[in-house]
Amino acid sequence: MRVAAVYYDGRQARPHPVTLCVEGDKLLLQGKDIARRDALATLNIQPPLGNTPRLILFADGGRCEVADRQGFADMLPRDAGSAVSTMENSWLYALAALLITLGLVAGAYICGLPYAARVAADRVPVYLLAQMDNQFFASFDETLLKPSALPAERRQAIWDRLQHLSLPPGAAKPERIEFRDSPELGANAFALPGGSVIVLDDLVKLADNDEEIIAVLAHEMGHIAAKHALRQMLQASVVGLAMTWYIGDVSNLLAAGPTILLETRYSRDFERQADSFAAELLRANGMPVSRLADMLQKLETAHRPDELIKSAQTASTLDYLSSHPNTEERIKRLRGM
Amino acid sequence: MVEQQRRQLQFSGSGGEYFRIWIVNVCLSIVTLGIYSAWAKVRRNQYFYRHTTLAGAGFDYHGEPKAILKGRIIAFLMFAAYSLVGRFDPLAGFVILALIMLLMPWLLVRSLRFRLHNTSYRGLRFAFHGHSSQAYINFLLWPLLSALTLGLLVPLAQQRMARYTRDNSAYGSAFFKFSAGVWAYYNIYLMTVLLGILIFVALMAVTVLLGSSGLIPVEADQLRAMSLLIAAVGTYLALFLIAYPYVAARLQNLLWNSTSLGAHGFSSYVKGREMVGIMLGNVLLIVLSLGLYKPFADIRLARYRIQHIELLANGSIDEFVAGLQSQASAAGDEMADMFDFDIAL
Repeated sequence: MRVAAVYYDGRQARPHPVTLCVEGDKLLLQGKDIARRDALATLNIQPPLGNTPRLILFADGGRCEVADRQGFADMLPRDAGSAVSTMENSWLYALAALLITLGLVAGAYICGLPYAARVAADRVPVYLLAQMDNQFFASFDETLLKPSALPAERRQAIWDRLQHLSLPPGAAKPERIEFRDSPELGANAFALPGGSVIVLDDLVKLADNDEEIIAVLAHEMGHIAAKHALRQMLQASVVGLAMTWYIGDVSNLLAAGPTILLETRYSRDFERQADSFAAELLRANGMPVSRLADMLQKLETAHRPDELIKSAQTASTLDYLSSHPNTEERIKRLRGM
Repeated sequence: MVEQQRRQLQFSGSGGEYFRIWIVNVCLSIVTLGIYSAWAKVRRNQYFYRHTTLAGAGFDYHGEPKAILKGRIIAFLMFAAYSLVGRFDPLAGFVILALIMLLMPWLLVRSLRFRLHNTSYRGLRFAFHGHSSQAYINFLLWPLLSALTLGLLVPLAQQRMARYTRDNSAYGSAFFKFSAGVWAYYNIYLMTVLLGILIFVALMAVTVLLGSSGLIPVEADQLRAMSLLIAAVGTYLALFLIAYPYVAARLQNLLWNSTSLGAHGFSSYVKGREMVGIMLGNVLLIVLSLGLYKPFADIRLARYRIQHIELLANGSIDEFVAGLQSQASAAGDEMADMFDFDIAL
C-alpha cells in the first residue's frame, strides 16, 4: 500500500512529490529523483492535530507532509494518535473537559482560594502589613481622605474608651485609629490589612452616643482579628492575576494596584463573623448588642437618600452598601442576639 | 524579468475544531497545576502554524515543551515577585521592575530567536540574528525616550523596533528587509489623532446646537461645560473602541507592504473598518459567553489577518536554501509572552 506525500529535504525549499510505504520496520520513500529508507524507530511521527496534514520529521531535518490522513492511518495504524489527540478529536471528551474545567475553577474559587488566602495571611510578616497601611494613607490622604474636622478631645475620648475595653481572648485592639473626613465616602469606617482603622467624621456625627461608635469599632476589630482585609486582598489579587493572565493585559492590573485596597469587599461570612465578634465584645463590656444594630440602621438610612440623589455623580457612595451585603439581614440577626 | 506571482496566505483552521483543542489544553493545564500549559502552547502554535499555508505548503512550529516549561517557571517567578512584592512594598517592587526592564531587551532577543528558530516552512527554518546591544537601543532606549517625550516618539520607536526585528530575521539563508520610514508610522497616528479631533468637534457642535435650541434643558452658563464633558467622554470611548483595531490594521498593512525577502515582496490589505467589526464582535461575544467564545474569536481574527497577506513572488520560491541554525532558548520567549511584549511577525 502506497500513500502520496510531499517531501522536503531540509536543505532547500523545493517540494518533492513522493510515495510512502512501510516495509517491515522501515519506511520507504520514493520520488522521481529521490529515495530513502529509514528505520521507523528513527522517525519523529507527529500525532494528528485537527485536520492538518500528518507529518513525519526525519532525524536529518527532512520532512514529509501527508494530506491523506486516512491513508496515513492505514499505513501506520499504531501511530493513529496520542491520548491527547484522541481527546482533541472528540466532542464528548471536549464536553467532559469543559465540565471538569468549570468544576475545578468553581471549586478553586469557592474553597481553594479562601483556604489558600487564610494560610498565606498568617504568614505575611507584620512589618510588611504596617508598611501597606502607610502606603494606603500615602496614596489616599489629601485626595479621597481629608484631615478630620473633629475636635481633638472628642477623638481622644473615643480612643480612651477603646483602651478601657476588656477584650475576648486572642483579640487585640487596633494598632492605630485614624480619624479622617471624606465627603465622598460619607459615614464609614474601614479596617486596613495592617490593623489600622479609619473612622470618618460623618460616622462620628451620625452616632447618638459613644457606645454606638465603639460598636462599629468592635465590628472592625472583628475584621482585624480574623485578618479579613488581608485575606480578601490576597484573594482579589489572585483573581485579578488569573483574569489578567486569561485576558492578557498586565497594565490594567498594575494600575489598579492601590485601588484594590479600597474596593475590598467583604463576603457575607466575613461580615457575620465580625458582627458576632462585636456582639461578644459589647456584651463582655456591659453594652447592649443593639448598639451595633442601631448604628447599622442609621448608616443604612444615611446612605439611602444619598444614593438616590447623587447616584449619577458619585458611584462611591454605593460602595459602602455593596461592601456590607444584606444590611437588613444583619440588623435582624443582631437584634436576635 | 520573471513575472510576478501573487500567492495568498491561506488559513484553514476552524472554530469548532480549535475549541476542542483549546478546552482540552485548558483542562489538562489546570489538572496538572499549570505544567501542561507548556505542551498546550506547543499544540496551540502547531494548530495555527500548520493551518497557515502558502503555495500549498504549511508552516510548522517545533518548540520543545520542556524548554518552554523552564522558561515559564522563570517568567512566573519574576512576575510573581514583582506583583506580590510590589503590593506589599512599592519600593522593592519598583527595584524589581527596573531589573526586569533592564533584562527585557536581552530576553526579547532570546524570545525572537526561539520563536523564529522553531518556525519552519517547507522544511526550512526561520532564524533571528539580531545582537543584544542593538536590542538595548531599539527595545529600551527608544521606548524610554518616547515615554519621556509624552509619547511623541512612539511612532519612531515602533518603526525602529520593526526595522530591527525584520532586518535581522531570515528564512533559511535569505534575510528579510524592511523599508518603511518613520513618516509612515507618524502618518498612522496622525490620522488617529485627526479622527479623534473630528469626533470631538462633531460631538461638541451637536450638543451645543441641541442645547441652545432648547432640546436639552440646560442653563446657558452650564452648556459649555456640559458639551465639553460629553464630547470628551464620547471621543474617549470612540477612540478606545475604534482606534486600536484601526491602528492594528494599518500597522499590519504597513509592516508587510514594507517587508521583502530576497527578490520577493509581500502585500497586506486588511481594512480598518472590518477589523473594528471583528474585534468588537469578538470582545462582545467573549463577554456574553463568559470566555467560551475565546477560541472561536482567535480563529476568526487569525483567518482575517492571515488571508489578507500575499506573497509577491518574483521567480520560484523553491530556491531558498537552509541557513546557519541559531541556538535558541525558550526562557526569553516565555517571559516576553508573559509581560505582553509579544512582537508579532
